[in-house]
Amino acid sequence: MTELELIERASGGDERAFRALYDANVDRIYRLVYRMAGEEDLAKDFTQEAFLRAYQKLGQFRGDAAFSTWLHSIAVSVALNGLRKVDRHRKRERSLEDAAHITPSRQEVDPGVRERIEEAVAGLSEIYRTVFLMHDLEGYGHAEIGEILGVAEGTSKARLSRARAKLREALGDTMQEYA
Amino acid sequence: MSDKKMNELVDTVREHYNAPGEAPREAMWDVITPQMDSARNEERAADVIDLAAERQKRSFLTAHPIGWSVAAAALWVMGVGIGRMTAPAAPPGPVAQERVESDAGLRFAAAEHFGQTESWLTMVQADARAGQIDPAMSEWARGLLTQTRMLMDAQTDAQAPMGELLEDLELVLMQIVGVTESESMGQGRVRAEMSLALNGLDDSELLQRLQAATPRQMAGA
Repeated sequence: MTELELIERASGGDERAFRALYDANVDRIYRLVYRMAGEEDLAKDFTQEAFLRAYQKLGQFRGDAAFSTWLHSIAVSVALNGLRKVDRHRKRERSLEDAAHITPSRQEVDPGVRERIEEAVAGLSEIYRTVFLMHDLEGYGHAEIGEILGVAEGTSKARLSRARAKLREALGDTMQEYA
Repeated sequence: MSDKKMNELVDTVREHYNAPGEAPREAMWDVITPQMDSARNEERAADVIDLAAERQKRSFLTAHPIGWSVAAAALWVMGVGIGRMTAPAAPPGPVAQERVESDAGLRFAAAEHFGQTESWLTMVQADARAGQIDPAMSEWARGLLTQTRMLMDAQTDAQAPMGELLEDLELVLMQIVGVTESESMGQGRVRAEMSLALNGLDDSELLQRLQAATPRQMAGA
């Protein structure tokens, strides 16, 4: 069965067809939103919401872009919106609590290096960080990033270049120490 | 830093920054499936809006959406020009002077843009609450989105708070454009999606932040 047939069937309420679309895309979507969110619970929430919103909107899918691209644009929108809410909530929390209490547990690496990497990437403006995560960490091409984010391919390239320059500036010393 | 060093840096970030594990497919699917039926029913239950009956007379700009886009582009040019005229006394060196003039122009254009967008979003929100959606909304939203992105790409590091506001604004405008340009969405669905998009205004306190960045307040800063 082709992807378009699956979409038509899923749009008509066929759960198995939607499951096939889910299986084909969920790993990539989850990886991306995890990179953006940094926490498993948030990544799960955003992934679930993205698929539910896609299911609601299946009737609107016209095939102008690849289904995966369309789905990614929904997921990125859901994740960015969700993260803004979480950030605001955390800012309020941090005024009351010690930040150490809300630091999630992570893979064990040199804490100093990890901290500086997190600070540097988190310090990027959202538009630069999103392109950097998609291109350099998850391997998306500029054309696809442009379609997903609704910007020109050249804009994606320019944003990546700016993101790299800022990271280079922020992490140059760290890299020398780490090496 | 050489390309090799840069690649090493990216490899390090890839390894340590929010490295995802395996997707918990079944656990997520178990959450999704019970909500699928209600999601479809919610869409079907949405009421149909009679756009023609609900449409009201608009002011000059709202009745001329193309004019709005042209005005936005003209504003950008004018902002840079006024910035050049109103920039503070010349600091030493032509490059620094150019930078100050450019920043002043950008701030002026951004302030005007925020003021107009805040007015427009307030009107859209009021209309949506009254069950009205103007069919020309898409063109207004696209024009504002274009100018928002121009400002985003032009901003400097010293304008980080403005950047955050522009990013939130871009997201809401993108959602409005997406909803209003969909040809296959029923009117009921348009209303539901528009409601979701406009909820983002409240979540991000966007209107208040736009109001705080209006020309009058910025001029006094």
